[in-house]
Amino acid sequence: MNPKQINKIALIAILLIAFGLPLVIRSATYLHILVLLFFYAYLTTSWNLVGGFAGVLPLGHAAFVGIGAYSSTILFLQYGISPWIGMLVGGVLATFAGVLIGLPTFKMRGAYFALATIAFAEGFRVIVENVDYLGPFKINGPRGLQIPPLDTGLANFLFTTKEPYYYIILIMLIAVLILTYVISRSKLGYYLNAGGEEPEAAMALGVNVARAKLIAMAMSSFLTALAGTFYAQFTLYIHPKSIISLDLSFEIAFIALIGGRGSIAGPILGALLLRPVGDFSRIYFGDTLPGMHLVIFGLVLILVMHYQPRGLQEPLTRLYANLVQRITQKTTGR
Amino acid sequence: MLYIIEDSINGILMGSIYGLTAMGLTIIFGVLKVVNFAHGSMLMVGMYLAYWTVTLSGIHPYLAIVLVAPAMFFFGYYLQNIVIKPIFIAEKNVREPLTVIIVTTGIWYILDNMTLLIFGPQYRSLSDNPLSGQMLEIGQMFISVPKLYGCITALITALGIYWFFQKTDMGRAIRATSMDREAASLMGINQYKIYNVAFGIGAATAGIAAVTLVPFYNIFPTVGVLFDIKGFIIVVLGGLGSIGGALVGGIIIGLIESVGPQFMTATWTEAIVYGLFLVVLFVKPSGLFGQKHDW
Repeated sequence: MNPKQINKIALIAILLIAFGLPLVIRSATYLHILVLLFFYAYLTTSWNLVGGFAGVLPLGHAAFVGIGAYSSTILFLQYGISPWIGMLVGGVLATFAGVLIGLPTFKMRGAYFALATIAFAEGFRVIVENVDYLGPFKINGPRGLQIPPLDTGLANFLFTTKEPYYYIILIMLIAVLILTYVISRSKLGYYLNAGGEEPEAAMALGVNVARAKLIAMAMSSFLTALAGTFYAQFTLYIHPKSIISLDLSFEIAFIALIGGRGSIAGPILGALLLRPVGDFSRIYFGDTLPGMHLVIFGLVLILVMHYQPRGLQEPLTRLYANLVQRITQKTTGR
Repeated sequence: MLYIIEDSINGILMGSIYGLTAMGLTIIFGVLKVVNFAHGSMLMVGMYLAYWTVTLSGIHPYLAIVLVAPAMFFFGYYLQNIVIKPIFIAEKNVREPLTVIIVTTGIWYILDNMTLLIFGPQYRSLSDNPLSGQMLEIGQMFISVPKLYGCITALITALGIYWFFQKTDMGRAIRATSMDREAASLMGINQYKIYNVAFGIGAATAGIAAVTLVPFYNIFPTVGVLFDIKGFIIVVLGGLGSIGGALVGGIIIGLIESVGPQFMTATWTEAIVYGLFLVVLFVKPSGLFGQKHDW
């Protein structure tokens, strides 16, 4: 076998496992945890388009999740418009918001962009918390919005079991991964990479760094908003403190940074490693040791930045490459 | 009308305390060129330190400065020396390494949640200290005494830091490093030691701010987050790296928060603060007193 064949087999195996898991796992709790794991992997991959490839540090992506969730939910509850359409509306609105923040800040240095995204997300949360009605739209302030699970079915994005949600988020995740792969090998990907590492040099070569970053930001905010709609339909309850929180923004960034930003596998690895740590320490230490999982997150983050600043994907990729090499040697009789 | 004057005075007093909490942030940014996301957490640590000092010994809250400020200096000094310095050395060629920002975020999460683990989520306050609930009556206006003390402390601290940076050798070395770290290194200044000292001074001012807050403010594990976000806004308003700018920025925020509720629901003032921040960021990112080369 040559390395290409092995890669293909590994990919097919992973896909088979991913699509087959709900057949094996019947527990709704574990399925719920898995859905959230994929949800975070999806969010982090979307974040990675701007946070990883463009070399800036967005810390307000929860705002886009909120825009997506609120847009589709308001349209669904008040006008009965299918959340699938609301999803796209939310995406477009989030794109506008993303471009609006990116336009002035991408010309500035890293820290300012991070601060601007935090201020935007927090400001947006405060507004949502303080407004009951925005024109004709009922936002319901800090109490949030609840989706009654009445007309279930694909058209209404409402299901009584967890499996459909599992497959929807899985397909969304695969789609965004393919998109990331395509972008990373496109002209835009090279521009972003060059602009992230050496902005001055890239600009001297005629690369419009700010424009490339802006396109990345637009795509990232659009994709993030789609996940917001998914979250609303999955949990059936959204409120500003949970969905537009600073904690969510930071968790997305943490997963990407620990997994390895700017790589395709990084966000997935980060979510695979960190989400279970978070979920299980919340389940087992939640009462006795509150906040334990966040101490672990912080510690892992610092250790990774010390020893593997490119994230955990780097040593793991190397491990995988070694493994592939060994299999190749064995099967071909060296 | 009288209400507005009263609110303005209290707003200026509280605002200068906000400025004091942000002063360390601006010093650290000025020298290290890094936004310290753990600054609010350092303030929180200082508040717990001050709270326990006063509770266990029963001394006047302001006497706690004698212990808290030096303790926080060493805390900041060694935090930078042990946790942050290795990253600076690894990313020597980057002017504003994002990895350092990320590490300070990690420190924030660890400090806040360790405190939650040790002291629990409950709110604490120094209920019977000599300053609690004290009001100064001027005509028909009431001025909060602990906030007045805080304002005076903020001014003294700002003057002290200014004097230190202008007149002492260490202060000059710090300023030289903040202007041009390569040139300063060539002059025989140990860049990383300066970073340690600057971080220590930043932490010590957070400690002083903590002492001024403890007599009238609740103490809980995530109290730092409130001041973190406010601190970012203040330093960008005033200009990252400017000590006077931090005071002015703080007072602007304090005024919006105290006078605003006369005209609108109190919670809306927060949205105005964020809006103002974004406007400044877009229109004049160097802030009111910042230098252009810093952005």
